[in-house]
Amino acid sequence: MPVAIITGSSRGLGRALAESLLAEGWTVHGFARSSQSLVHPYFQAHAVDVGNEASVQAAVATVLAAGGIDLLINNAGAASMNALLLTPAATAEALMRVNYLGTLHCLQAVGKAMVRQRAGLVVNLTTVAVPLSLAGEAAYVASKAAVEALTKVAATELQSYGIRVNAVGLGPVDTDLTRAVGADKLHTLNQRIGRPQGTTLAEAVVFIAQEWRAPSDTTGSIRYLGQLN
Amino acid sequence: MNMPTFTRDAAVRLILARLARFGQELGQPALAMADEQTRLFGEASPLDSIGLVTLMSDLEGDIHKACGVWVTIADEKAMSRLTSPFRRVGLLADHIVELVAATRV
Repeated sequence: MPVAIITGSSRGLGRALAESLLAEGWTVHGFARSSQSLVHPYFQAHAVDVGNEASVQAAVATVLAAGGIDLLINNAGAASMNALLLTPAATAEALMRVNYLGTLHCLQAVGKAMVRQRAGLVVNLTTVAVPLSLAGEAAYVASKAAVEALTKVAATELQSYGIRVNAVGLGPVDTDLTRAVGADKLHTLNQRIGRPQGTTLAEAVVFIAQEWRAPSDTTGSIRYLGQLN
Repeated sequence: MNMPTFTRDAAVRLILARLARFGQELGQPALAMADEQTRLFGEASPLDSIGLVTLMSDLEGDIHKACGVWVTIADEKAMSRLTSPFRRVGLLADHIVELVAATRV
């Protein structure tokens, strides 16, 4: 039975991805700071702060005690909308800590296990806001641009070990995270990416799941949902 | 329950066994003849950078199997030392013993 780790699995997209993998027969380890209500015989919740390296290492060690890791989905993320010149430094630091360092810590800890296995797939979550250079999200976009750069370098370094590292970028998905954003802004953004109808959670999961469902040797790729590529 | 001490000899044996396995995988029988003085990086090393990363990752798994703890071999302390613990097998063994001991304090 293949084994996956998903970060940010307590709600929204992370939880939906966990449920999808469980339905496909995976064993899923969910990393999240908050409590997790998902109950399934093959789901194990771990209390993890992905921005804390020691917390990540301890949780990955727990997973490894039971065997290998086939898939890592770096989904945990934070977003904040601020005009560039009004973005508090603390906000920028927090975004970089969760989005970039969180991805880095998990990639390092799980990557070592995958090197030992000489196989593995890592999927990092990014956003269409990066290629769109979306105004009002400078700190968020910068943190996700760092994730994209990390994805490409990691793919190059880890390819010879049989490890693939890709990123997938979404627009607004109907979750708690986007419900606080004004409808006009969401509509404008959805139109820019050619999805005026928006993106449901189920559509987002299907798009991301192509990474493990469709056999491929592709690594270092960044796929965006919508008309961007 | 007190865990038995992870000795320097045990660490050396672990590294040499892993290098010997590498030698088989990479078709470099010289790695089976490695000793405490064998260079692990640099021009005199039989390992390239990918080989060194693989060695460190595999050794972390070997250490876990041998004594039940996960250590990070390339930690901040190791990277900032004047004499790199990755220079020779013997120095790496010293470093590993320190890391394992630190988990048991």
